[in-house]
Amino acid sequence: MMNYPLIHHLIFAFVGTLGFCILFHVPFKHMPAAAFGGAAGWVTYMYALNGGSPPVAACFAAACLVALLSEIFSKAGKEATTIFIIPGIIPLVPGAPLYYTMRAILTGDFDAAAYFGTQALFMAGSIAIALLLIASLTRLFGAIKGKLKFS
Amino acid sequence: MNKEYQKKILVLALYAGELMMKSGAEIYRVESTIVRICKACKIPYVECFATGTGIFLSLDTGEPGDDMYTFLKRIESTSIDLWKISEINDFSRVFSTTDLSVEDGLLLLKKIDSHKDYGLPLHFLGAALVGPSFCLMFGGGFLDALSTLFAVIGTYAISLLIGKLRFDNFIRIFLSCAFASALALVLSGLHFISHIDPVIIGAVTIFLPGVAITNSARDLLSGEMLAGMSRGTEAIISAIAIASGVGIVLQFWQVAGGIL
Repeated sequence: MMNYPLIHHLIFAFVGTLGFCILFHVPFKHMPAAAFGGAAGWVTYMYALNGGSPPVAACFAAACLVALLSEIFSKAGKEATTIFIIPGIIPLVPGAPLYYTMRAILTGDFDAAAYFGTQALFMAGSIAIALLLIASLTRLFGAIKGKLKFS
Repeated sequence: MNKEYQKKILVLALYAGELMMKSGAEIYRVESTIVRICKACKIPYVECFATGTGIFLSLDTGEPGDDMYTFLKRIESTSIDLWKISEINDFSRVFSTTDLSVEDGLLLLKKIDSHKDYGLPLHFLGAALVGPSFCLMFGGGFLDALSTLFAVIGTYAISLLIGKLRFDNFIRIFLSCAFASALALVLSGLHFISHIDPVIIGAVTIFLPGVAITNSARDLLSGEMLAGMSRGTEAIISAIAIASGVGIVLQFWQVAGGIL
């Protein structure tokens, strides 16, 4: 396995997310923002992993960042958050743990299979919780801001 | 309110909902868009129930002489199209704030529906961007990324071809992923690839059910149990298709004496 510096990872994730933007038909003018969200999420994930944090926690932090950036971009561009969240979350979707689970099952290493399988499951769950958490906080923030204006 | 007008509203709202659902929007967004459109047409009693495979909608004006209308719309295929979601989101906002007529609304929706996506060459470019970069992200070297480029383009072409044959989605993903891993194994047999795992991961990434996973989890956690379950099952089935497609080829390779 190769170890690339974080700045390379930023570029890889940016290009990868850009590819998904084309496949998912993201409006052209929002492509850079969406791809940047994906890149930022992936770099956060890699940074946390390099710092020794467990993958699920790293994924949670990264997904929070992606969701937060998506909220900001969607407010700025007056768009639905989905347009930024769906491409942005793609690098974090546990495809690699899923693959390693399958491989561990093939080689009969069920300890590793259980390890990677639960990791894949929990990563998917942590992404969902992060998205929901940020969406709720944004709504709360908006409500507080609205109240302050009225009073 | 006359019957024809009520029916037109029903058609308009369901059309918008169907388009959103087909483009891969979340269930709560589909339901709220439909309700918003109906409320904008001054219909006080609107109930909408959407799942991943169908939308039910009931309208009642509440006036004594009027009938209650219920309609069911079956949703067949889903393909992710974020442009359409964004446009319909705009449309529902415009429709509920201005006094756009129902006929004009229907015309606008037809225009959104007939809008083409980026087209085949650009889709290939997208797949070609995705494969190598995911290969590099998961620790592949330069030659690995180069092989992934060929693998992902071949895999995408195969998947489109199988899609044309009207095979089930499961078989399409299964065969495409089997093809991807077979190609990766051949390339590694030619000593072109040093790490086989990143190449296979990069080549099958385009089939990952990322949207289904995130949407189903969001729907489940926000209380849309049925919709969340149906999308979640879709995600699990896709994951199984990918894993078994790759797995079977790797297993055959092992049985035939190849080294992983």
